[in-house]
Amino acid sequence: MKETTPMTAFLTPEQSAKYAEFQEFAAANVEPFAGEWDRAQKIPDAAVSLLGQAGYLGAGIPFDYGGKGWDVVTFGLLNEALGRSDSAFTGVLTVQAMVSTVLLKWGTDEQRRKWLPPLAKGELIGAFALTEPGRGSDIQSLATEFKLSSGGAGLILTGEKKWISCGQFAGVFLVFGKLDQRPLACLVPRNSNGLEIKPIQDLMGFRAAGLAQLRFNDVSIPAENVIGKPGFGLSHVAPIGLQFGRISTACSALGLLRGCFEESTSYAASRMIGGNRVGELGMIQSLIARMGADLEAARLLCWSACRAEDDHVPETFTKTFIAKYFTSRAAVHAASDAVQIRGASGCHESSPTARYYRGAKIMEIIEGTTQVHEVILGKGFVHEAVRRGLARRHEASH
Amino acid sequence: MNPTMIVNDINQVKETVRKFINNSINIDGLGDDENLFESGIVNSLFAVQLMTFVERGFGLEIGMEDLDVENFKSVNATAAFINRKSVGKAA
Repeated sequence: MKETTPMTAFLTPEQSAKYAEFQEFAAANVEPFAGEWDRAQKIPDAAVSLLGQAGYLGAGIPFDYGGKGWDVVTFGLLNEALGRSDSAFTGVLTVQAMVSTVLLKWGTDEQRRKWLPPLAKGELIGAFALTEPGRGSDIQSLATEFKLSSGGAGLILTGEKKWISCGQFAGVFLVFGKLDQRPLACLVPRNSNGLEIKPIQDLMGFRAAGLAQLRFNDVSIPAENVIGKPGFGLSHVAPIGLQFGRISTACSALGLLRGCFEESTSYAASRMIGGNRVGELGMIQSLIARMGADLEAARLLCWSACRAEDDHVPETFTKTFIAKYFTSRAAVHAASDAVQIRGASGCHESSPTARYYRGAKIMEIIEGTTQVHEVILGKGFVHEAVRRGLARRHEASH
Repeated sequence: MNPTMIVNDINQVKETVRKFINNSINIDGLGDDENLFESGIVNSLFAVQLMTFVERGFGLEIGMEDLDVENFKSVNATAAFINRKSVGKAA
């Protein structure tokens, strides 16, 4: 379904045209099949191939490497348009962008030339292997370990990763671990000897996103697969990928929120009870009012975060945290209300609202839980107030 | 700060870096040589925020070869890195 109130004032004509194209793609290739993929807990290879053929998996990868070279606002619009139909499908865009962005920033010329063209075309799908069993948000305590191989020419990888989106079908994993206690990132091809991949089934939502658990049993990694330098894996490498993960997730949740709003308003405008439209009932209007206001606020926050990333300003990280925090929570509220508005039919899988309800909760968990965002944002806002106080005292003493 | 500051005065660079860092942390009287990462006064995002500030503010691109704690450990170290990198870029 096409966006009914686009932020035309904020988009360039090119961005608006791309957004229309993304919505048409979603309407034709995603929306009719999203429920089926959810029930099968799998996105067909052909659907992922379509993303590649459209160039969407190389959205932010420069032309020189075979990508589209689009700005971040356009990338956000792509995620919103696809997220409107299926947040699990959009998960492929998320992890592809996370891996590609890390390679663009920290890869050597050789690494970029080798890995980015197949990622841009969708011939290769990447996955971001950071989370470990039992550690979740506590990424500083990574137990996955790299050791120098006996000849010293490469590395040996041992450890486990869990909840890895697209892990079931990714061709290469960006794996984070420690080498002599120094955080490090490495690319590990799927066909590496000693890599076991176990699908994770029966998630409450995001069921088609192909999550997997990975076990590395003394996997040999060539030295040329190291991304960045030892010691910088968590301070500089991971945050660059996670930043794009949050942008993608925030915009995907924005699409889901729009889906809830459009389904709810459409139902409220057409469903009759006792001779009256459901939408004429005050209690329904109340639910829709919150949903619509949240949708508009979330749009502005997501757009602001994408613009900040395009402008490459330090505030981009905080703006993205705010956008992801607000939009994922708003999507959860909206999905709950969308089910409520439809009543029994909203609880049945024949309505997309049931899938939205299950999927929205996942948006609050992935790329940093709501609580992690609250810790970082809350601490930041308090620090800002302290700094203002210090500045006032400094001024008063001079 | 201008989108891209011309690096021709190391003291001006140092003042700009000091201002950014002081706005990012909440301790008073940070010394120009105080190690930002050993003292635990910065959060997990500070490293990439500082990197983005340097890239945006001074028109530099930080790559893998620049990943060295010595380049960003303090106000003085960051200003010296910006100066070296700018000279290298201009050469």
